[in-house]
Amino acid sequence: MGNMVRTVAVLTLLCAFSGFILSYLKNVTAPAIEEQLLVNVQGPAIAMVFNNAENNPLHERHVFTRANGESVTVFPCKVGNRLTGVAIENFGKGYGGPVGVIVGFNIMNDSLAGIGMTTLKETPGLGMRVKEFSFRKQFRNMETPVALSAQGGKVDAIAGATISSTGVVLAVNSASEVYRELKPEILKKWDN
Amino acid sequence: MAVLKEFTKGLWQEMPPFRLLLGLCPTLAVTNSAENGLGMGAAVIFVLTLSNFLVSALRRFIPKTVRIACFIVIAASLVVALELLMQAYAYKLYEQLGIFVALIVVNCIILGRAEAFAAKHNVADSIADALGIGLGYTIALTFLGSLREILGNGTWFGMSVFGESFEPFKIMVQAPGAFICLGLILAGMNWLTRWQNRRKGAEFISIGCQGCSGCTACHTAGKEE
Repeated sequence: MGNMVRTVAVLTLLCAFSGFILSYLKNVTAPAIEEQLLVNVQGPAIAMVFNNAENNPLHERHVFTRANGESVTVFPCKVGNRLTGVAIENFGKGYGGPVGVIVGFNIMNDSLAGIGMTTLKETPGLGMRVKEFSFRKQFRNMETPVALSAQGGKVDAIAGATISSTGVVLAVNSASEVYRELKPEILKKWDN
Repeated sequence: MAVLKEFTKGLWQEMPPFRLLLGLCPTLAVTNSAENGLGMGAAVIFVLTLSNFLVSALRRFIPKTVRIACFIVIAASLVVALELLMQAYAYKLYEQLGIFVALIVVNCIILGRAEAFAAKHNVADSIADALGIGLGYTIALTFLGSLREILGNGTWFGMSVFGESFEPFKIMVQAPGAFICLGLILAGMNWLTRWQNRRKGAEFISIGCQGCSGCTACHTAGKEE
């Protein structure tokens, strides 16, 4: 009996202690990890979307809060000190996990400025091909909401990777909803 | 002196991937460049040293019946901590090593050293053992990575070795290259051992038995039975 109590106590203590240490470490490293993701993951994707940006969208990012309390990081793109577009990261459901997409919008007419991929865990050679230029370029200057050509839209899915392609389309569409909701605030913040 | 002996045995006599043939999965998977091998080795040294230290320090408090569970909790916590730290401060390496950082949890070297060594020895010896084995692992991975990178890509730690005219063996940086290189290294090491034995005039000691007698894991397993 005493042995069993000791066994349970040791395991419980050990697990509790390790949980405590890890949650502490997670909090401590969170800002540094966010910074690394910005530079290494979101940065290149934003550069793909706004190749003409004259500012640094990463440095000028701002966190907006939606009506439902969700916070959204918005990256502005400026040309000649005027806001020409904004980018929002959004996630769709892919085949191997969430499909992270940076969606850029033109402020002028609310069309898409382009998309760039962030986190992808799709199948190499199939779903992974959504990050190829030939797929991404279709979104340039498209009106939202977008849809795959199989659903009567204008986006040609990657052959054999309908789930990944649909994930991208859903991410783009939900990003566009976020954009429409936040546009007044975005204009208030940057456009003057 | 004993501490020094525990340290040096990992460097040759019990070099994990080449002598004990432990931890082969990451050995084969991440060594497509010398830098990746070195990074993976450093990650293993970190986890192994702390895990041996903790296991050895806590060995009197851990009940025998749940010792494996406790070792795994310790190893897993250390690996998650390492993952967070790498993500925060060495993101490029974290991306390169990918899933193999998380898989250090189930790397048999970690659990093997905890069970076969740290749980039975004092803290100083356990740390020496971990550093030796870890360093041996790092050297082995870096060596294998260097070989594959030089032959398969014509570079070493990213620096060009042969110049423009070299046509790299692309197969060396792909998965089959790992098996080919590892096989050749193992053959080379066995040949070297046999040659040394012959010089000492001990022809009749077979290689297999000698390699085994140095391995404490088999030793202790034998004692327990």
